[in-house]
Amino acid sequence: MSDSGAGMVSWVLNGDPVESPAGMTILEAAKAHGAELPHFCYHPGLSIAGNCRICLVETNRSPKPAISCSERISDGLEVQTHSEKAVEAREGVMEFQLINHPLDCPVCDKAGECTLQDYSFDHGPDESRFVEKKNIRHTKDLGPTIKIWGNRCIVCTRCIRFCDEISGTGELCVVARGDRSVVDVFPGIPIDNPLAGNVVDICPVGALISKDFMFQSRVWNNEHTETVCGGCARGCNVTVETNEGFVKRLMPRENTDVNDWWMCDFGRYGWRYAHDDRRVSVPRRGAEAVETELEAHRDLGELVRGAWGGSKKVAIVVDPFLTCEEAHLVGRVAAGTGATVGGWLPPSGDELTFPGKFKISGEKCPNRRGVEAVLGQEVFGSQAKAVESMLNSGGVDLVIVFAGFPNADCPDALASAVGKATARVAFTLFDGAWSEAADLVLPSASVFEKEGTYVNEDGRLQRVRSKDRPGDAQLAQPGLHSASISSPWVTSELVALQRALVHVGDAERSLSAAGVFRQLADSNEHFKGQSHRGIPATGVPLGGLAPAGVGEGSES
Amino acid sequence: MTDLAFSKDAMKEYEWMLTRYPNKEAALLPTLRIAEREFENLDPAAMKYVADLMGLSPAKVLGVVTFYTHYRREGTGTYHLQVCSTLSCALRGSEDVCAHLSAKLGVGLGETTDDGLFTLSKVECLASCDTAPMLQCNDDYHEGLTLEDVDHLIDRLREEAKAGGAA
Amino acid sequence: MSFEPILTKYRHEKDSHTIDFYRGHGGYEQAKKAIHDWAPDDLIEEVKKSNLRGRGGAGFPTGVKWSFVPKQTDKPKYLAVNADESEPGTFKDRVIMETDPHLLLEGIMISCWAVGINTAYIYIRGEMVHGYNQLVSACKEAYAAGFLGKGIFGSDFELDVTVHRGAGAYICGEETGMLTSLEGERGQPKLKPPFPAIEGLFGCPTVVNNVETLANLPFILEKGADHFRSIGPEKSPGPKLFCVSGHVEKPGTYELPMGVNLLTLINEHCGGVWKGRKLKAVIPGGSSAHVLHADECDVNMDIESLAAGGSMLGSAGVIVMDETTDMVDALLNIMKFYHHESCGQCTPCREGTGWLEKIVHRLHQGRGRKEDLDVVFDVCDRMIGKTICVLADAAAFPAMSFIDKFRDEFLAKCTNSDRSTAQATSGAGGVNV
Repeated sequence: MSDSGAGMVSWVLNGDPVESPAGMTILEAAKAHGAELPHFCYHPGLSIAGNCRICLVETNRSPKPAISCSERISDGLEVQTHSEKAVEAREGVMEFQLINHPLDCPVCDKAGECTLQDYSFDHGPDESRFVEKKNIRHTKDLGPTIKIWGNRCIVCTRCIRFCDEISGTGELCVVARGDRSVVDVFPGIPIDNPLAGNVVDICPVGALISKDFMFQSRVWNNEHTETVCGGCARGCNVTVETNEGFVKRLMPRENTDVNDWWMCDFGRYGWRYAHDDRRVSVPRRGAEAVETELEAHRDLGELVRGAWGGSKKVAIVVDPFLTCEEAHLVGRVAAGTGATVGGWLPPSGDELTFPGKFKISGEKCPNRRGVEAVLGQEVFGSQAKAVESMLNSGGVDLVIVFAGFPNADCPDALASAVGKATARVAFTLFDGAWSEAADLVLPSASVFEKEGTYVNEDGRLQRVRSKDRPGDAQLAQPGLHSASISSPWVTSELVALQRALVHVGDAERSLSAAGVFRQLADSNEHFKGQSHRGIPATGVPLGGLAPAGVGEGSES
Repeated sequence: MTDLAFSKDAMKEYEWMLTRYPNKEAALLPTLRIAEREFENLDPAAMKYVADLMGLSPAKVLGVVTFYTHYRREGTGTYHLQVCSTLSCALRGSEDVCAHLSAKLGVGLGETTDDGLFTLSKVECLASCDTAPMLQCNDDYHEGLTLEDVDHLIDRLREEAKAGGAA
Repeated sequence: MSFEPILTKYRHEKDSHTIDFYRGHGGYEQAKKAIHDWAPDDLIEEVKKSNLRGRGGAGFPTGVKWSFVPKQTDKPKYLAVNADESEPGTFKDRVIMETDPHLLLEGIMISCWAVGINTAYIYIRGEMVHGYNQLVSACKEAYAAGFLGKGIFGSDFELDVTVHRGAGAYICGEETGMLTSLEGERGQPKLKPPFPAIEGLFGCPTVVNNVETLANLPFILEKGADHFRSIGPEKSPGPKLFCVSGHVEKPGTYELPMGVNLLTLINEHCGGVWKGRKLKAVIPGGSSAHVLHADECDVNMDIESLAAGGSMLGSAGVIVMDETTDMVDALLNIMKFYHHESCGQCTPCREGTGWLEKIVHRLHQGRGRKEDLDVVFDVCDRMIGKTICVLADAAAFPAMSFIDKFRDEFLAKCTNSDRSTAQATSGAGGVNV
């Protein structure tokens, strides 16, 4: 029982006197002072197991080395992380970890991001003294999305603790004991829960493998884009990994204000629509493809110019996949044309909260609150009804409808209302009644192709980033990747709307998302004082939006 | 799916067991003993029954069952002959007992005779080192064994089985 | 020196396991005395004064252990009786449980009264069906007689005792492994701190005592701490059950004063090495202890003397090996045991125990290399003190001492000098990291 409660503890780290908050473990406190200690079984989001023994350090408390993940700091404690004893202890553990581990890194998906591989370089032996036969353990499916290579398992039990403590589903266990022990499921009860994919992420070796990512790419070839998931209003922080513009996988990014270290499988595996053949990738006039995007955007500009100044009756139907920046541009178009703006939401799903506090929102879109903050709190409420009845009552000259929904159709009633307008523009991911009736069809960007910001259900402003880099379009060679996955090069609504505004003469030139955001921050109370560069990696609570008790940025 | 269920008496014993511990989970090991007796061995159906009965995840039960070596597994014969093979017994001829049994029964270690009567295993120390060599047959210890004793034991068990009374 | 057995006095008498027999021989009088006449704190002091040390293997002073349990706590306190006797070469607790279970129950009552405990569990290893049945019927008798349950001896003291069967795992003899197992889990030892006295069974303060330790308590109360201390050496006094097995004429459990000379034990009590053969080696304290060469066996069987002699008293499981013993074969047997019993939780033990067995197995087959012996020592060094519990150490000690003391026998098995040959013949699959 070390010091608890408030207060600081004075201790010595590698000869330097340091102070840390009482109650911290040596591993956490050392990390805060810049000394990163190796660990397999320790995970900040899980209970302490203390079984891998790689985090052994020398202390003045006992002649035996101590595991830093579990021992807590106290006044007078002296810790040596690099003394001969500590180094020797870690080398010993590394040798033990490796004796039965197969040398199959060349065919292991974990290679390149494998903790065992990394530590083997840092702490492991140069050559093996182990001339015996290696142990064999099972290789099999554990569930619809996960496979285990038992020979690689180091029995750190992270995956088991995850299923017990975070998802609360308890599908995994260690069977047998000693060096026969390995992770398994009960016969006929696979690991199949909405958070299952996380066990692959937290596996420090290549024992648990995602079937979705298996043999898809070497991790070092992947480009990383730090963004947020668009699957629901939770806004889980993710890294989108791509190879030549193609999404390979999504990985959660740590954000203890939103998603801790986790993400759900709906979000994780919900990226395939971005590469769906049926996506609208080319602008069209009716059924006719428009040769260049620029031409299509000029068409849009013409339509907007025709309505500029309030001479015509204009309706705009927005969706909650638009970024705050895109919503701001919609607002400018609406202001110039005197348009009525309403929006539509996808059907809501189940809200799930797990024992580990992780939450999946029932709202299956990423930016309702952001669009509301920009276009008004009633944009998806009374305004939506107003727009629909306005369209139904006839006489609307121009309608612009946004349908950037990956998994939902525009409701029939709304689609048929849209069809009643004289001129019809549709931004859409997939074709439907709303776009088939349109005079001008423009491709919507998916969440993976957007630059800007989203506001999650808690009112947290977070950056969304495009996986695409300038020039990627030229690299995307058909046939290079599997035929069923195509990667359209689409220009987002952000660009299309700005080109229209330039055409009208309302803007001098198109700006980046950051530039548009500056305009938004200048003109909207909620976004005041914010800038893209100023948004931390984990987002920031938006002024006046955060619900009570969530975040610390609510207005004082 | 499963039609397994504890008998009335077993259920009573289980419920009494629950009163002895501050939480249900602690009664898992004794409950598995009841299941082992009720269902003859702890096959997946038996483990699933116990998990459901106790409100535990089946995986947890599997982990526990496979950790311990003394539960009756699927496919164990009527008589499980567990020959102690740890040092004290080894020093006094447990290898000979094993080899003799193996030859007599025509099975290797871990195997069950075709008639389903005998399973032969080597096990670790049974805390009967002063009467080495020895073996445990189901619940009973047979100590200070000579090869003749082993023959007699097998003959007796065969007769017992024939008479329909397996222990 | 004349010594009358105390713990095993009635083991050969008919019906010694029944409550009638036990009471007929003064049984339960000490528990009654404790509850009526002894304030718990004074009782703890008396046990401290007796210097009774744990008989499970670690030898920790029992009274001191009790005093670690917080006096004031909102939580229930527990006694977990370690009856998971599984150390190879040890079979003493079994004798008590099978022939005198009420002695254990009375010890439990005294211990629980002293520490303020109302719930005790006896964790008996699953294989000991007879001992389990004896304990269960003893408990039934004690409940029926009003010695367990509510209002014991007219006081307001309550005590419930439950006999809990293990299911086959050596590691459950380790105190925290036993607690985890009692909680219905895989019996893997727990991280310390917190120590059981503070946070043990079900997260509550817990005393863990061995069967033989508790069986000493009625005697200490009857005759007083001073008398107890007059038996055996000062630093580890009292009667002791010695289990002798292996190559002696009369293997068995012998109750003698702590500190009996090992050679006296073997030659006078056990009838000497069997078949008139010469002594080669002795493991004095269960297979986890360092082996003693025949030359080192003139040593007293108590905690200090054996520690000074380079081994340990441990569980006092004495395994005797005669001149014909193949030490490589004997070590292989021990290595198999620890490999089989490692819970697999900590890396050094999970991997180390298997590695040791594989090397010794190769030596045994005559495919050893000289450098293997160095590797064994290195592996042991990397196991000792690096794990949650001491199973890794327990595997390393015999490995090191066998090779150290019988090096020639091991060297004779090292005929191979080529790594690749060793590898090929061991059928190593794949490439090694």
